[in-house]
Amino acid sequence: MKIDRRVLINFDWILPMLVLLLCGIGLVNLYSAGSNIDYGNVTPHYVRQLYWIGLGLVMMVVAFSIDYRLMVRYGYVLYTLSLMLLLVLFVCGEVTHGSQRWLTLGGFTMQPSELIKLTMIIALVKYVDDRYEGTSFGLSDLFTPFLLLLVPALLILKQPDLGTAFFLVLLFLSFVLFAGIRMKAFLFLCASSLALLPGLWFVMKDYQKERLVMFLNPEHDPLGAGYHIIQSIIAVGSGGLIGKGYLKGTQSQLKFLPEQQTDFVFSVFAEEWGFIGVIVVLVIFLSLILWGLNVARRARDYSGLLVAYGATMIFFFFLFINIGMILGILPVVGIPLPFMSYGGSSMVVLMMAAGLIMNVSMRRFVLQP
Amino acid sequence: MPNHDKLNRQDPSFFKTRFVIVGCLIFFAFCLLGGRVWYLQVLRGDELRTRSENNRIRVEEIKPLRGLILDRYGATLVDNHPSFDIAVIPQETENVGRAVELLHEFSRDFCPPATLADGTALRRGYTPVTLERDVSWEKVALVETYSTMLPGVIIDVVPVRNYTMGDATAHALGYVGEISRNELQSPAYRDYRRGAIVGKSGIERTMDRYLRGKSGGAQVEVNVAGRTLDVLAKVDAVPGLNVVTTLDKGLQQACWEAFDSPAGSVVVMDPNDGSILAMVSKPSYDPNLFNRGISEADWERFSSDPRAPFKNRALSAHYPPASLIKPLIAAAALDQGLITGEETIMCLGSLSVGDRTFRCWGRKGHGALNLYQAIVRSCDVYFYTLGLQMGIDVIAEYAYRFGLGKVTGVEIAGERPGLVPSTQWKRQRFGEPWHRGETVSVSIGQGFLSATPLQLVRFYAAMTNGGVLYQPRLVERVESPGGDIVESFPAIEQGRLPVSREHLEQVKRALWGAVNEPRGTGKALLRKERDVCGKTGTAQVISMPDDDDDGEKQKDIPYRFRDHALFVCSVPCDDPLITVMVVVEHGGHGGSAAAPIARKIVDWYMENRVMRAPESIMTGSYDDTSTRRSHED
Repeated sequence: MKIDRRVLINFDWILPMLVLLLCGIGLVNLYSAGSNIDYGNVTPHYVRQLYWIGLGLVMMVVAFSIDYRLMVRYGYVLYTLSLMLLLVLFVCGEVTHGSQRWLTLGGFTMQPSELIKLTMIIALVKYVDDRYEGTSFGLSDLFTPFLLLLVPALLILKQPDLGTAFFLVLLFLSFVLFAGIRMKAFLFLCASSLALLPGLWFVMKDYQKERLVMFLNPEHDPLGAGYHIIQSIIAVGSGGLIGKGYLKGTQSQLKFLPEQQTDFVFSVFAEEWGFIGVIVVLVIFLSLILWGLNVARRARDYSGLLVAYGATMIFFFFLFINIGMILGILPVVGIPLPFMSYGGSSMVVLMMAAGLIMNVSMRRFVLQP
Repeated sequence: MPNHDKLNRQDPSFFKTRFVIVGCLIFFAFCLLGGRVWYLQVLRGDELRTRSENNRIRVEEIKPLRGLILDRYGATLVDNHPSFDIAVIPQETENVGRAVELLHEFSRDFCPPATLADGTALRRGYTPVTLERDVSWEKVALVETYSTMLPGVIIDVVPVRNYTMGDATAHALGYVGEISRNELQSPAYRDYRRGAIVGKSGIERTMDRYLRGKSGGAQVEVNVAGRTLDVLAKVDAVPGLNVVTTLDKGLQQACWEAFDSPAGSVVVMDPNDGSILAMVSKPSYDPNLFNRGISEADWERFSSDPRAPFKNRALSAHYPPASLIKPLIAAAALDQGLITGEETIMCLGSLSVGDRTFRCWGRKGHGALNLYQAIVRSCDVYFYTLGLQMGIDVIAEYAYRFGLGKVTGVEIAGERPGLVPSTQWKRQRFGEPWHRGETVSVSIGQGFLSATPLQLVRFYAAMTNGGVLYQPRLVERVESPGGDIVESFPAIEQGRLPVSREHLEQVKRALWGAVNEPRGTGKALLRKERDVCGKTGTAQVISMPDDDDDGEKQKDIPYRFRDHALFVCSVPCDDPLITVMVVVEHGGHGGSAAAPIARKIVDWYMENRVMRAPESIMTGSYDDTSTRRSHED
């Protein structure tokens, strides 16, 4: 493949800078979150996170090097491949904490449900791109996209990972609404999801119901599920305006916080850095997301626009669900905070999402493939 | 990309409204998050900070008490007792070194662990650091008395396992320890947590799922130092279930005391259902040492001991069955119709096969012997002859059906299968044909043939109970702490010996003769009731040179080359209640080293379990106060 000079000239520096800034803050914070743990011979989380950042950066380069139009052309293939990974998981995955989300390939553990977020977007773009006629979608046009959502969502629901399934639905809705939908189809979508909601209650496992009830009333069972929410709120709130200081957060150092390396990592940060620190991080994330939308807006073609938009929305939902959860305005679901939570699969996928946005950004003046 | 040029060009104005809407929504979402953070951190900041500093609520795991292990009559084999640790919370003391000094002033024999010296244990800490484990009551009282002078020093109470019989039951019951990394990763321990205490061997391991119970939790209010102020809510732990074993505590103790040699094992089985009444393996170790993590010195001492004290010799050690195999050969020959009880074979002191000469242990020869006399006097030549007539593959088939050469399926781990050689086995193992001379060795239980004491006791139990092969069992049932039966483990019949009742009866009569006839080899068991039937065995560890004099004293041979002494017997002969198997490693002759041990065990059993009803024993000789139930049979 010949590389156009304009591609390099227009290389998007802003996005990787923001991402690396967040990774840096994340590492500093992970050190604190793990400082009360006696790791012994085990590699500490913040060191392992470095490896993941390294791998993520490699995948980011892969994601912006290959022309996104090529990816969209093979959108269904990519989608099917990641769907197959989910199926493999379904058959022989590892069960941790009572659910089956991880797949071990030669000592390397991954979560295929993370990957499907990206490939579903690309497959949706492929579908929309193929059929685009300048008009909005009617009900019949929505059948295939709906199938693209339903298959992975059901598989993930079965793992069971309610949070990720819900994530896919949100991503799908935000995409379809953005791409354009007729009023009749829109109303149908709303009505059917409202009808499905009670049915979901029966699909949910006990612990998931528990979490939902807890979210509505955390004091109900402070020993069990409500404990996470209460402790997280205390941690965040006790940070106050300027925080307790680095490595001085008592909530985290005393191990009151659950999952403080992963899903609740931001509670540690909020406790130690206070309101000012939180706002700084939120502003960085907001810049990242608005920059992504800006790239989408300036994209050269329709597919580029949608790819950049979809990738940006992945960032937004990750961030909003995670922070909403630790602030007690959303139920506890296993969604990590981008670049700051410890974890390999989400790190790699989010780096790839950033890579896709860069991909669209740097090819905005290239007309021929 | 079919419609790339025409349709997919973006019309910038087309999406403009949508971008504005999405941008606004996202901005609004961020405002929502920011507002919530403002509310929590700024508006409620002081309140929540107070809550985090003064009113810390933490969920603590309440560990369940592990279930008891009881003997068949309900006497306690394992229970739990509290152990007191002195610990210090580094964050609460000004200076840990000072606290240690003070402790030393109060109690001269207080010795802080070495890890304190380099300070690594005290990096940051609200977590208590243990200074001394399992301290005496006096020290506990001392620390409590001076508690005001010792800020941050606390007494931790930890329940630990108490093995009431110590070394005597180490191998059957096993010991407990913290779950290892390998165990955590294995699917069998899927629902276990890091730091859990699990059974590592014996019944503790096999029955862990029943014994472990279920953790509870408490929501506790703790102060800045992490010390508990108040318990706000609590879900009690569910204690583990009690395991009732088939063991007989009194008999186990009798076996332990009777076995006075450095290495070997004793297994006592009830031939009527395969229950193991006693299982002793020597050398042994004290499982109580593992309670709080075994000390490095102890571990080193045990694991480097060449006699392997951790090995359960009753089921993990292979021995040549030696003469103990002879009744099997006899029964097989009867069943094959190769011989009748009356036919005689002439023993002249040796038998030549090819260019080799196989000697009988009786150098001068036993003369003409029938089956009864051959077993009584344990004549080798008689069995050489029968073995050669049958051939190795027929012997192997019978040995296999008698339960040799495969694991018995007893509940506890570590069992080895023994070895029953055959022509096919030798071809696969060595790629060589079988030699007739090797059949001769196997006919008297030497050569490639090997078995565990557990296999041998089961084989004799079946020979003397009319031919039923039971799976050996150590667990009778599982009970709730209140004594309700949760699960029963009935006897399992694994098969029947392929020999008719009359033939078995014939062999059994000869086994009676081996003990009660004047020229029998097992005369040590000749009781005035004349109610024991049994067989001696002397297993060669190395083959002695041909010109070696059989009369050579065992004590002149280096210990590790001395013969193993074996003895097995059932009592009472007519309708056996127990089958006793004794192996004395490097003990010399079965009749002189192993049989006297079996004699003591048999005497104890007949005296305490048959002459006197078990009920009276329960109140009489048992010094155990936790005895809860009378004999159930």
